[in-house]
Amino acid sequence: MEQNTLHFESPTFFQRVKRMLDVDFYRLFHTPMFYIFLAIAAIIPAMILGMTSIENADGVVQKLYDNTWQVIAADTPLYAVSDIAQYANMNMVFIFGGIMLSIFIGHDYKSGYVKQLFTTHAKKEDYMISKTAIGAFSMACMCITYLIGTVVSGLFVQASFAVNVWSLLCAIVGKILMSLGWASLYVFLNIIFRKYFGISIVSCFFFGTGILIVGAGALVGNSPLLNVFLYGSSVYACLSGNIWTVLVCLAVSVAWTGIYNVLGTYVLEKSDVY
Amino acid sequence: MNAIEIRGLSKSFRGMYALNGLNMTVPVGAIYGFIGENGSGKSTTEKLICGHLVPDCGQMKLFGKDYTDAGVRVRVGALIENAGCFPSSSVYQNLMMQALNLGLLNPDEEIERVLKIVRMEDSAQIKFKNCSLGMKQRIGIAMALLGDPALLILDEPINGLDTDGMRIMREILVDITQTYGCTVLISSHLLGELEKIATHYGIIRQGKMIAELSAKEMDARARVFVALKTADMQKAATLLKGKYPNVHEEEGELRVYDVDEVEEVVEYLLKNGQVVSQVRKNKVGLEEYYIQLMSQKESE
Repeated sequence: MEQNTLHFESPTFFQRVKRMLDVDFYRLFHTPMFYIFLAIAAIIPAMILGMTSIENADGVVQKLYDNTWQVIAADTPLYAVSDIAQYANMNMVFIFGGIMLSIFIGHDYKSGYVKQLFTTHAKKEDYMISKTAIGAFSMACMCITYLIGTVVSGLFVQASFAVNVWSLLCAIVGKILMSLGWASLYVFLNIIFRKYFGISIVSCFFFGTGILIVGAGALVGNSPLLNVFLYGSSVYACLSGNIWTVLVCLAVSVAWTGIYNVLGTYVLEKSDVY
Repeated sequence: MNAIEIRGLSKSFRGMYALNGLNMTVPVGAIYGFIGENGSGKSTTEKLICGHLVPDCGQMKLFGKDYTDAGVRVRVGALIENAGCFPSSSVYQNLMMQALNLGLLNPDEEIERVLKIVRMEDSAQIKFKNCSLGMKQRIGIAMALLGDPALLILDEPINGLDTDGMRIMREILVDITQTYGCTVLISSHLLGELEKIATHYGIIRQGKMIAELSAKEMDARARVFVALKTADMQKAATLLKGKYPNVHEEEGELRVYDVDEVEEVVEYLLKNGQVVSQVRKNKVGLEEYYIQLMSQKESE
């Protein structure tokens, strides 16, 4: 470093966000937590497919899933689930992602590193955007390891692989796109409860389960209106999906990301960091 | 242009004012010693400058620009309360994250440079959680020094350090201001340590700045005195009061203020049959000035 100059060059929006992303990606790849969650995402479908069984009306115990891809998505968009087989699918990745993101952001505050970030980043939207991107990336990676885990376990238990490939692809792409929306929700929740790490995790888990939409589905039935919510469109990305499913997921995810990022930035700007 | 210019800054927490119309001026290139009792508002001021807290009202300018200006803030290095490092990451990884955060082009070179400044070249691979308090403080300084900081804000960086740690920290601070010319705002309770490095002082009390002065002004205010002890203190006091206008009995010794020559005082007492057992020359420094100012404000 040479003698200090008092010429202050403002970084552009893209430079600012890139710097924040560089930090977050470096941290993500250098902490074991990310890899642990990737492994969890791979193991869970294997456990579900290999170990779940149900007793039918005749008292015969049979496998809960007869088709491998049911672990990825339900056959049809059922918002109100009647059994675990309709619920336990790739959407669970969004719960793991929420917990991971809570830990990731929680460590920012617990270690005090957030002070360094906010000292050099005057614009709070940098933080929201970067953390959302990290969360979305992590969940997208988890979706992929979940898919790998599903395929491998499907081969092991010799479950059926019969599927409409196009619909399956649309469902997977739709769910990966939903990662963005879910990440923005979790970042927002973590900003709201930034002083209370435990509440952050619990709130992410609570919203991640989609329990409110499941409840709404039970009350209003399988209304397509529920697709405007994150859990609704995540369920909509099912094995009977098509390109329209992908577009709905994209639109809903981007819209909620925008809303949560604006709200989160507002909260950060109007309140103390810690 | 001033490095920091604050006018009418207020901040309250649940209705209690931590800062109440604070004014502050830190010239460019200064080592500004920020002094005050616990809870007087030092850390709150520093957190506000760094954008960690939202002010209730007031104006803050850094190098003539609003404190929210992204160009200025990227040139602020801070060590507030702790280094803000991830405990399970190594020193190098923590510094790398900060280097990426600042968008440095040669992060490895920069990390090497700052580790050299804080004398921790061989500690890069140690996990932060395994570092001693002194090392952690130095890593905090290294984090703040990365890039090209025009302003360093250091909250109690020498607290909790042993004598050697304090000396190293002092040398580092003087070195970086002299070599790189950055402005330093440093708060501390250790006035004796501050006095050795500060070029300016700001004294805060109950969220208000009660005095701001340069080290030169402090020197000009400083009163020199000769302190002595004799076998018969009362008689010596009577004799000295007859010759010198400012003689006081303080802390078990006689203090003759505004006198430069020790020999002159000793000789005068000897001539009058008083043998001096102890004598020293001293001056009223920052600590005494601070105590005087605080008691004066308390009585107001």
